[in-house]
Amino acid sequence: MTDREEKISELIKNELNNVDFFIAYGRGYDPIHVKPLFVYEEKDLDDLVMNIFCVHNNASYLKTVKDKKVGIVVKGCDSRAVVQLIQEGLINRDNLRIIGIPCTGVISIKKLKEKMDISRVTEAKVESDSVIIKTSDEEKRFEKDDLLADKCLWCQYPTPVIYDHLVGETIEPSRPKELEYKIVEEMEKEDLNVRFEYWNKELSRCIRCYACRNVCPMCVCQDQCVMESRNPHWISLKSNITEKVMIQLIHAIHLAGRCVSCGECERVCPMDIPIFKIKQKMNQIVEELFDYKAGIDLEATPPLYTFQVEEAKIKEREW
Amino acid sequence: MRIGVFICHCGSNIAGTVDVKKVAEEAKRFPHVVYSTDYMYTCSEPGQLEIQEAIKKEKLDGVVVASCSPRMHENTFRRTVEKAGLNRYMFEMANIREHVSWVGVDKEANTKKAIDLVRMAVAKVTLNQPLFPKSFKVNKNVLVIGGGVAGMQAALDCADGGLKVILVEKNPSIGGKMAKLDKTFPTIDCSICILGPKMVDVGQHENIKLYTYSEIEEISGYVGNYEVKIRKKATYVDWTKCTGCGLCMEKCPSKKAFDPFNEGIAPTTAINIPFPQAIPKKAKIDPNYCRQFIKGKCGVCAKICPVQAIDYEMQDEIVTEKVGAIIVATGYSLFDHTKIKEYGAGKYLDVITSIQYERLLNASGPTSGHILRPSDNKEPKTIVFVACVGSRDKSLGVPYCSNFCCMYIAKQAILTKDHIPDSQSYVFYMDIRAPGKGYEEFVRRAQEEYGVKYIRGRVSRIFKRGDKMVVRGSDTLLGTQVELEADLVVLATGAIAEEGARELAEKLRISYDPYGFYIESHPKLRPVETNTAGVFLAGACQGPKDIPASVGQGSAAASKVLSLFSKDLLESDPQIAHVNEMLCVDCKKCIQTCPYGAIEEKKTPMGKIVASVIETVCQGCGLCTATCPPGAIQLQQFTDNQLLAEVKAFFHA
Amino acid sequence: MAEEKKEAKIVGFLCNWCSYGGADTAGVSRFKQPTDLRIIRVPCSGRVDPLFVVKALESGADGVLVSGCHPRDCHYSEGNFYARRRLEVLKRFLPFMGIDPNRFEYTWVSASEGQRWQQVVTKFTEQIHNLGPAPKREEKSDR
Repeated sequence: MTDREEKISELIKNELNNVDFFIAYGRGYDPIHVKPLFVYEEKDLDDLVMNIFCVHNNASYLKTVKDKKVGIVVKGCDSRAVVQLIQEGLINRDNLRIIGIPCTGVISIKKLKEKMDISRVTEAKVESDSVIIKTSDEEKRFEKDDLLADKCLWCQYPTPVIYDHLVGETIEPSRPKELEYKIVEEMEKEDLNVRFEYWNKELSRCIRCYACRNVCPMCVCQDQCVMESRNPHWISLKSNITEKVMIQLIHAIHLAGRCVSCGECERVCPMDIPIFKIKQKMNQIVEELFDYKAGIDLEATPPLYTFQVEEAKIKEREW
Repeated sequence: MRIGVFICHCGSNIAGTVDVKKVAEEAKRFPHVVYSTDYMYTCSEPGQLEIQEAIKKEKLDGVVVASCSPRMHENTFRRTVEKAGLNRYMFEMANIREHVSWVGVDKEANTKKAIDLVRMAVAKVTLNQPLFPKSFKVNKNVLVIGGGVAGMQAALDCADGGLKVILVEKNPSIGGKMAKLDKTFPTIDCSICILGPKMVDVGQHENIKLYTYSEIEEISGYVGNYEVKIRKKATYVDWTKCTGCGLCMEKCPSKKAFDPFNEGIAPTTAINIPFPQAIPKKAKIDPNYCRQFIKGKCGVCAKICPVQAIDYEMQDEIVTEKVGAIIVATGYSLFDHTKIKEYGAGKYLDVITSIQYERLLNASGPTSGHILRPSDNKEPKTIVFVACVGSRDKSLGVPYCSNFCCMYIAKQAILTKDHIPDSQSYVFYMDIRAPGKGYEEFVRRAQEEYGVKYIRGRVSRIFKRGDKMVVRGSDTLLGTQVELEADLVVLATGAIAEEGARELAEKLRISYDPYGFYIESHPKLRPVETNTAGVFLAGACQGPKDIPASVGQGSAAASKVLSLFSKDLLESDPQIAHVNEMLCVDCKKCIQTCPYGAIEEKKTPMGKIVASVIETVCQGCGLCTATCPPGAIQLQQFTDNQLLAEVKAFFHA
Repeated sequence: MAEEKKEAKIVGFLCNWCSYGGADTAGVSRFKQPTDLRIIRVPCSGRVDPLFVVKALESGADGVLVSGCHPRDCHYSEGNFYARRRLEVLKRFLPFMGIDPNRFEYTWVSASEGQRWQQVVTKFTEQIHNLGPAPKREEKSDR
């Protein structure tokens, strides 16, 4: 166990009496796969890890444990979901114990997979700006930045925005904010019809598994989601392209002004559909129009659930 | 389901540009339609009977009528189907007149469009559910906003009918514009002599609670249960003590205060009672002119007041009243002629407005009823009246006719001759509009008996030459230019919406036209109702109108309120939001956005927290339905599925 | 008619109190309009979930129009303020998905503005005709 892991363990141990359980990160089946760890008692802590592979947004579980007292380990990006859930009254701050972890980025397994066969990883370690992955046959060294999840490359919240305990020193944001909507801007260089066909092609792969929705920390409707509902009957269960597009549009519209850019939707997509772009576009619009970012301010209201009589940035329709 | 479709010809209104037979034929092929026909006038009695017979014979459980706008006849047909035993909400209308036959020229395209609209209405009615209204208690107080003649009439009629009336007037006294007038056309009755007793009645009526010098701050609630916050503006005089003796006015050293009652043609004192017949007859201080307020010292009135009513520290006060209905009688304002450069933009003392002229004519006015022109207090001999100043003028943004100016010009010209027998009046006019009873005769008298010279044409310029005002215009009948030297020019400024009319409309949630006049429910058949239940209109706030029309509307609005209040319980519109508790995830978005606070959280017997609609508070806007992510809260009659069915019916035809 | 033009599929969501009334006023005044638009009556523009627009577009609409009361003049006092935000967001979002934003407009027409309604319908219909039929989505099975 690293020092940091020791500290987290210690904190959880002390907090266990105050909560029903703690959600942290645990050892997976190999060194590069981490799993969410549910800590009910001290011995569960044996599996605890806290490293560059802790990709999950543990806040995704909060919507399912509304009335329980829960402890949670969060990175900066994860913490925004916690703030947003509290802000919307979807969870109760008093029921939460939060351990915040300042973070300099997590690895995108998808990116790693493109660079090497990761089926037999025996060891993984970080040495300053490099990541070293060993398998039984080879050892590879990568620039850390080449493997980081996209969201880490423009991260403005390396330190959690809400916590009861912070493990380690506060980290100042050092990544360029300009990159935030780069994936959106690149897309927008293309013509409308190219974009139209792009999404037809990408979304054709959708198998309607709803993983994007299930993992989304803000999708609190769960079983009642309109993507599967007959009443109201917004979309049929047909597996055709218009319904697949509708699914993403529903997700984007229901998340408008609420999405905290954790990128989990795209990370979990088994078909590797770049749906985070869609969310980022929506986030860009919301930021432009309302100077608003979700999951920062506990007192704010999501902009689509309020209004200004005179909107500073919406021009009245001329005709 | 078994749906019947009825296509109306509306004489040739629809049938002229829509192949109604074909529409009826096509409709037979729509899902669930078991009966489809066309008829000359579906809204006529035989037309309605045909629907009722079909409901019984064909065992219909849903009806679609394709005819005019549902805003016109939805209620008519709902009653029709209800009488035949159907729930009134198992009915939909396709608007193939206003939205099709009257606006499209191509019969084939119109027919296709009508077929689509009927298909969409059928798809919707398939998903309609029987709805049942709930009853709720009515607060039988009525709020009247505006204490002019229309508002006074409404207040008196309601009060005589046994209702408690809250009358709010923004000026210190009731009476409105009529109180300022000298005489009224066409009878030359003394205005205040006929209005004064009515004002007294209002002031003394046990059922009328008067708030003068007060304005509406906020209105919430709905028909039967409004809550109104009223701002009582500070008068700096305790009206519970003030006896209206007028001593303060005599002694007040600040004698140059603007006098709104006299339209600024003469000053008044900083503390004043607006006019002798004022109701209530109480003094108020204008802090813009009072030395105590400007210089911080004076206090004369406080010293002199025999009942110690002066209170320089007085603050505005907000009071709350609960009412069940509201009559809006806020009147009108007058066009600001200083916007017209050609007429001197207000810089000539001897170019005045008609309402100022009324004050000169008036025995209780600043000149005690002697017509003396403002520049030198001399009696004018040549008087020129200019009609349509700020009326019927697109370039000034007032394309409409102000209704009563033609008549008061004739009246003022007649009075001028009475006051100054050797005077000569001229009137520049565009058209003479005198359609009321005795009106045309009255104008004729002005011309024939009183020798008033009418010149048909517009005035292009007014300017000063020596001590005369030169009025230059055209005589379109003679086709010549005219130039008159006048001692006094009277501009008949047009009626415009009262200041603050739009803001008040927003508080009341009623509509107004581009000029700020309030819009009635139906221009012909519902002239005093608004589209907001429980809010009625009276007088010139709806559009320029003269005294008899305003009084008539005041009584009409009162009778509407009296009939509304004749029942102890009102039926609430059941087209409101309804929560599917299974689907609700307690995300609180509906609660947050509902404009009426009509949604609250509740615990189901299963212990689940869900949203719950307060049925009498919900107004049926459907914002919650558009907000709810899982679609758990549905506006009945406009559910997601119903609207989606309409969309589908159009695109998957 | 001189030129035979195929009708575009246009659907409009109109609030009952203002725009539907404005369309009625246009009718009563016999203000001629193109015939492509089909109107769906809703109580308030605030009732228009942006998903209706999306659904109509995905169902094959060539154009979608939403019209409500002018801001500050909502019959339900606030509905159109919400609509304004949501529909503006949607309008900016559509092009990212490859949908021409000109296929969707939202506007404000009061019950007295029959002439304005005529202009809105005429202009929007023209705009949609200029864009031509909306592209159809096709499944790409290269997975």
